[in-house]
Amino acid sequence: MTRDLDLEAIVGRFYAPLYRFALSLTQSEAEAGDLTQQTFLILAQRSYQIRDVSKVKCWLFTTLRREFLRSVRAHVNHPHVEFQPDIHDAPALTEDPLRSLDAKAVVDALALIEPTYRTAVELFYLSELSYKEIAETLDIPIGTVMSRLSRGKEQLKSILARTIVENSRKIIPMNRDEEVAN
Amino acid sequence: MKKSRTEITNERAKFLLSAYRYNGADAQDPMFREALEQATRDPDLAAWFAKERSFDALIAEKLNSVQPPASLKPAILSGLYSAPSKHRSMFNWLPALAAVLVLSGILLSVMRQGSEADRPSLSQYQSAALAVLSGGTAPKLDLLTSDLSRSQEYLSEKAAPRAPEMPVAFRELQTVGCKAVNWNGKMMSLTCFSLPSGELLHLFVIDAKALGKITFQPGIREINGWHVELRRELGMLLMFVSKAPIPELVKYI
Repeated sequence: MTRDLDLEAIVGRFYAPLYRFALSLTQSEAEAGDLTQQTFLILAQRSYQIRDVSKVKCWLFTTLRREFLRSVRAHVNHPHVEFQPDIHDAPALTEDPLRSLDAKAVVDALALIEPTYRTAVELFYLSELSYKEIAETLDIPIGTVMSRLSRGKEQLKSILARTIVENSRKIIPMNRDEEVAN
Repeated sequence: MKKSRTEITNERAKFLLSAYRYNGADAQDPMFREALEQATRDPDLAAWFAKERSFDALIAEKLNSVQPPASLKPAILSGLYSAPSKHRSMFNWLPALAAVLVLSGILLSVMRQGSEADRPSLSQYQSAALAVLSGGTAPKLDLLTSDLSRSQEYLSEKAAPRAPEMPVAFRELQTVGCKAVNWNGKMMSLTCFSLPSGELLHLFVIDAKALGKITFQPGIREINGWHVELRRELGMLLMFVSKAPIPELVKYI
């Protein structure tokens, strides 16, 4: 426990995971960069409030999310399109095609999870916070975190399975005659 | 399969294990103990759990492969140095107090100088500008913004001089922010950019009339570990400063 935070070391350790979390929230590289900067700016201004260095990580993710929600509230007219995945009719998800997906496809899939569950899943994968820390970050009971993770991950699997199916349909099989001619 | 009193259902175990981190960080957490024990006894649950951890590891690997822009870290550090802490000890203020006293001394000495011939020299200006950068790995900026237009508007609002025209290649660079500096009653400006390597490129601008006779050789020179190039444009003196290697700098300035 200490009151003297090594801010440069904290930036070096957490700026990348925070940026990824911000990117998943905003879906915009520019906004994610601004949000990450803003979070560390608040840390620099309020570092005296942090008495336990081990809580810095949780504090940073909490603050970033709070700033994101603040900016969303400031843009009430911001259009928001929700996707309701049909998890009851999803194709089975196998590992090999999943491995072939690029990072952007996974980021996009995360964004399609229902908002209620999305943030818990994002924190689970992007921050490596424990379920207790996620509960603290989101200010919700532990049982709710468990429920959101369970259902959110099921939705993620369903969305990824559909993405893989859609990608496979985009691959046009080569004509047999052309194959011979070549 | 008959279950003993201490066993939990597989559904309950799956529900709990959905929150178990794939890297094993929760191995000692009592919350998962029963579910983990159940997974050692039940082959179906064990298979499901192995698949779940594999899925989690793969998703985390994909997501963590997204790299932040190279300019982000220097931009954050600039913000940290410019952010005033609302709770600082007296010792934190001592260097600032010393700097104020030194600057006050310089200011008083300049105020005593009346004639135009006594205007500050180019080398004094360069020293003052480089001192702005010497506070840490990044300067303390007034405004952090990736919008170059916004930074130049800010400088105008503060009556600080601006470059008549930015080098064309600067369009490829990300703006980090800017600062207006009152140096002995003369305004100068600093605009910072991030180079692809992650190093910062600083542009100082001052009205050439604020200085005494200005003579300099074209090209990049090294001053106190900084690469510096001077340029005169429409009455403004532009000074480009960076620690980036010269081959990278010449692409932009």
